[in-house]
Amino acid sequence: MITQKKLSTKIGIYCLLVLGVILSIGPFYWMLIGSTLPSGEIFHLPPKLLPGDYLAKNFQALNESLGIAKIFWNSIFIAIVYTIASTFICAMAGYAFAKFRFKGKNFFFFIILFSLMIPFQVTLIPLFELMVSFNWLNTYQAIILPSLASPFAIYLMRQNMQAVPDSIIEASRVDGAGELKIFFSVILPVTRPTLAAVAIFQFMSQWNSLLWPLITLNSKEMFTLPVALSSLIGMARIDYGQLMLGTTLSTIPIMIFFLVLQKQFISGILGGSVKE
Amino acid sequence: MKKYMSLMLVVLLLLLAACSNKTTSDQGKTGDSKHPSGTITVWGWDVAAATMKASVEKFQKQYPDVKVKVEDFNSSDLYDKLTVGLAARGSGLPDVVLMEDERIPGYVHQFPEGFLNLNKLGFNKYTDSFNPAKVASVQKKDGEFIAAPWDIGPAGVFYRVDFFEKAKVDPNSIKTWDDYIAAGKKIKDATGAQLLPIDIANYDGVFQMMMQQQGVSYFDKNGKINLQSEEAKRAMATIKKFHEEDLILNNNGWDGIVTATVNGSVATIPYGVWYAGTIMDQAPDLKGKWDVFYLPSFTDEAARFANVGGSSLLIPSTSKNQSAAYAFTEFFTTDQESQLLGFEKYGLFPSLKETYSAPQFTANSEYFNNSPVFKRFADIVGQVPKIYLNENFAKASTITVNAQAAILLENKSVDKALTDAQKQLENEIK
Repeated sequence: MITQKKLSTKIGIYCLLVLGVILSIGPFYWMLIGSTLPSGEIFHLPPKLLPGDYLAKNFQALNESLGIAKIFWNSIFIAIVYTIASTFICAMAGYAFAKFRFKGKNFFFFIILFSLMIPFQVTLIPLFELMVSFNWLNTYQAIILPSLASPFAIYLMRQNMQAVPDSIIEASRVDGAGELKIFFSVILPVTRPTLAAVAIFQFMSQWNSLLWPLITLNSKEMFTLPVALSSLIGMARIDYGQLMLGTTLSTIPIMIFFLVLQKQFISGILGGSVKE
Repeated sequence: MKKYMSLMLVVLLLLLAACSNKTTSDQGKTGDSKHPSGTITVWGWDVAAATMKASVEKFQKQYPDVKVKVEDFNSSDLYDKLTVGLAARGSGLPDVVLMEDERIPGYVHQFPEGFLNLNKLGFNKYTDSFNPAKVASVQKKDGEFIAAPWDIGPAGVFYRVDFFEKAKVDPNSIKTWDDYIAAGKKIKDATGAQLLPIDIANYDGVFQMMMQQQGVSYFDKNGKINLQSEEAKRAMATIKKFHEEDLILNNNGWDGIVTATVNGSVATIPYGVWYAGTIMDQAPDLKGKWDVFYLPSFTDEAARFANVGGSSLLIPSTSKNQSAAYAFTEFFTTDQESQLLGFEKYGLFPSLKETYSAPQFTANSEYFNNSPVFKRFADIVGQVPKIYLNENFAKASTITVNAQAAILLENKSVDKALTDAQKQLENEIK
């Protein structure tokens, strides 16, 4: 009896899980199928559930309208440079806020936290004017530089670095390590999960970012993937096949990035929540 | 530590300096109004941008010293960029920008100094070259051209020839909205298709067409709200009748209309002429099965004409090269060949009157049941009533859509819903 009951709960749970899988994978599957169909056929009733033979044509059309290689390069270059530089800067800032004593420390930290509450739309126009006066419109640096020091990442880094025992740092000092050496050889290695979590956050936010690149970039050769995909949505003409293929292509790198760093990502987030 | 930091700062500053050095471009020389030169940037969207790009070659034969760079965005992205640029006192704006007509009054209201008065550059000599309803929509009240007119969207009803045949309905017999409803019932019985798509909670285009064919919009000439007028009540009551007879397909936005076009769930689509291009694009298999008739009207003799959509070219007043910007705008909007190019390739229906006699317009369209669809539109375009748009267009539209949703989905009475809508709109624009 008991085992039967267990079995039936198990079946129930699995049914729910299968349903969840279908619900979460369904849209992705539809996107994949859509990228292999010509635009008109995507709307057929009943919907086509098997891949069509239009993939190459969609790719050709997409490449013609966007120049997909350059767009990919733009997105990857910007996201990687941004992720590395931003993670590094935020780690340094977080370390300073966690472990150093200096005048106005709490005040500055409060300012940083406070800036989390300012919506981006408020700073959009002044920032844009700044970019124009630097003559930075349509450049990589206009996208990479303004958001390098991310308040959220600094906050996350600080919380995690506080958990690093002072005694490690003191021991290193006693052993004669300089401050930089301590930071690079002691602090960074022990906070690796947090670094990975921050890196994923920064990478995802930059990879998916639409508004700011849209405002600052003007020519097709400089577009990032989201801006380029958005430009595919025409006034009265939308080639849905192209759009689906473009979306599929743009999700692949982020999936890979996430799968590679997934373990660190989860432990990094949990690491911030519990302190011993 | 401190030493390193200052070193890093210096390096960073040097980097910044290096980045910002490559600023000198050929913006310096602009020529004069007779012989413009230099480079101008134009913002547009998909097929419109493609048309402008294609016309540059001929433009440069006339103005060899002007280079034109056409940049292509999704229209709502373009508006975002434009708004930010205008709010930043004109920073980073192009020399010429494309805009939908219904957006123009809003932008001019919000940024009164934002765009050039084209009369000052001599555009008023073209007043009679364009469709009069279009001219009215791109001029300020005092007759100043704020934009150079380009395309328009005379409205008609696209219909499925095969469905009509199956239900034995003659499209020529449909003169009034009541005829339209009667036909819709027959067609639904025979084929199962709904009569027309309306995104009930998001789209009041059918209401707008019904208003314009009666010669009014949300507002009258003096900006007074028209939502409680007889015209508005009549229009809303008709839409309610569609719903009571269960003839509306409540589609999901633009994608929903395209879906219905392809999969045969509607028998007709009342829309602007430019939708012909979309049909041909997305439903190549339905060749010969679509055709078009004029909008039904409220009485036998009333006008059956309205306009949906259309866009025009504006010159931001911060353009550093206004003479070249004007040269391009003037050339592009008044050059028959460029206008026909956009029409033929992308279905952008020009407002330039001299184009309508071109063979491209009078020919029969193979896709549309071998009938002269575009000639049909060209024949009536001069009779589309002028209406008055203003900066509150978007608000009025939102409120009207809400009223429509309340009437159809929550069973509110037409009178009550329109009275409430009028009050709400009055409050919002006070």
